Amino acid sequence: MGRADYDLVVVGGGAAGLNAAFSCRQRFPDKRVLLIDRESEVGYYRTLLPMFMAGNLNEDKLFFWKSGDDENLDTRLGVQVRSLDRAAKCLTLDTGETIGYARLVLACGGYPIVPPVFERAVTPEGVFPVRGLSVAREIKDWLPQRRDIVVLGGGLVGSKTSVFLRLAGFNVTLVEKEAHILPTVLSADTARPLQRHLENMGVQVKTETTIDQFKADADGAVSSVHLATGEWLPCGTFLVGIGSTPDLAFLDGTGLVEDGELVVSPTLQTHDPEIFGVGDAIYIRVAGGDKHNPWTWPQAVNQGKLAGANAFLDSPMPLKRTTRVNAQNIAGVPIMILGGPGVGSSIEARPGPGDGVWREFFMHEGCIVGGALVGDISGAGPLHFTMAGGADVSETTDELLKPRTRAFGALAWTSLGQARRANIISAKGS
Amino acid sequence: MDVIAVHVDRCVGCKTCELACAVERGSEGKTLLSAVREAPQPQARVRVEGAGGVSFAIQCRHCADAPCLDACLTGALARDAESGLVRVNDDRCIGCWTCVMFCPYGVIFPWPERKLALKCDRCMHMESSACVDSCPTQALEIVNVEKLADAYAEKRRSAAMAASGIGIDGAVHLDLGK
Repeated sequence: MGRADYDLVVVGGGAAGLNAAFSCRQRFPDKRVLLIDRESEVGYYRTLLPMFMAGNLNEDKLFFWKSGDDENLDTRLGVQVRSLDRAAKCLTLDTGETIGYARLVLACGGYPIVPPVFERAVTPEGVFPVRGLSVAREIKDWLPQRRDIVVLGGGLVGSKTSVFLRLAGFNVTLVEKEAHILPTVLSADTARPLQRHLENMGVQVKTETTIDQFKADADGAVSSVHLATGEWLPCGTFLVGIGSTPDLAFLDGTGLVEDGELVVSPTLQTHDPEIFGVGDAIYIRVAGGDKHNPWTWPQAVNQGKLAGANAFLDSPMPLKRTTRVNAQNIAGVPIMILGGPGVGSSIEARPGPGDGVWREFFMHEGCIVGGALVGDISGAGPLHFTMAGGADVSETTDELLKPRTRAFGALAWTSLGQARRANIISAKGS
Repeated sequence: MDVIAVHVDRCVGCKTCELACAVERGSEGKTLLSAVREAPQPQARVRVEGAGGVSFAIQCRHCADAPCLDACLTGALARDAESGLVRVNDDRCIGCWTCVMFCPYGVIFPWPERKLALKCDRCMHMESSACVDSCPTQALEIVNVEKLADAYAEKRRSAAMAASGIGIDGAVHLDLGK
């Protein structure tokens, strides 16, 4: 079979991959780009899938792009990449086709992690990972007959899924193996009001436990699951949201993967400068040698855009921010996550007023390095960028923690700060 | 592109712009008397901030490289191709507040009761902007952003001239192209 050659080939059509393709096309209009994805559909908001599967969103609102809009952006959908040959600069697909590239962006994402209990046996019907659109459609069709749902994984995906399903009237139990929900980004104190809110909504939350057995009914569908803490939960639908493992098998033997990880530089290049890595599949080696990736949608978009822009630059640009910032509205309770606690950081917290409001920062040497706002998110945007800028806020920490704070006006009250916040025609005293 | 600019020396911090914006853009009745009785309460897309005797109104800057556009999880935020302004498509907004978190200026405002992110669109489909029209001290003005840049350059030039005129050594005027 012949070989098709492209200037840029992008493997993976999630947020990162698509934005890499778009930004390359925009920056370098004469370059031909190919996007490869194992799903048959791309260009949808993965972030909206929990709402979609609960039946609260029309499918047309999921999509932001359809292939065929740009004649220099080709797609091969529903195919897998089998191998990469760096010497010949080409990929082999499972269809036998060979695709040559000048630059390559790996945005291959990951496969959902399967809980061990299902690895040992035939997975019954009614067990789904929360990840892609095709599975989300299956879940949407399956749910109406099986209204008792157990969601495994109290991270962002699991919590969000539980909330949307509960709002749609399903019976939902959320199971998290750590002591509280959102364990990687919230402290126990911050998670408490949130967990209480979920319980008040009618979501049952089971922490410090996991699933160790299941039963199937006569039709081969899951009927109940057993918690390690010794309790059977009736369960017609079992959703798994415990993260993903990078899909890197096709890179075996290429020398790009170290200890099972695809690590890239701040310019998003692998150690082969013509091959870039973005999105859920990678780690970025940041200053100081730490490996990091926030794994959020805005980060995936940013990384994709940067890789596409860097693809044909002689001096590629580094990624500006790798903050693990995320926001959610959990049925009326807003939460803003500024990032998890770093090594050696202290907690500054301010509870209330009232139940369900909690604002906390993780501080290191006077700078905010992480934290969360629950129930009151005032000042969230300026706070995010104050943190990202590494400003010393030891003098104003308490003001910034106050709910409904207006402290940011005071924080940036220099003439430069003013000029940044508005188009100023005439200044005071001029 | 036309933007809203502010005369900081004229702003007295009266918040008339906030009221006018909320009434004009957020209320059904379009008068202050009816707007205050509406539920949910109408919200403004402009906010007056101040400290240390200085105040002025801030609203969306319609950034060229807008972080909110990259952050939006639903496609609700988009740039209007014709005007270059960043807008919220209410129909697609789910009120997740991710854009609120990614606005460095803090000028995207959550409206929880309506599950909508609110931001200034310069009243783009109206003849004029509510905040600009209502400002009793004419502190707000709609200006062309390129003309504003020219005005800034002129200001820097005259400042540099003045500085060199009073004998400050090493004052160099850098706006060579202007």
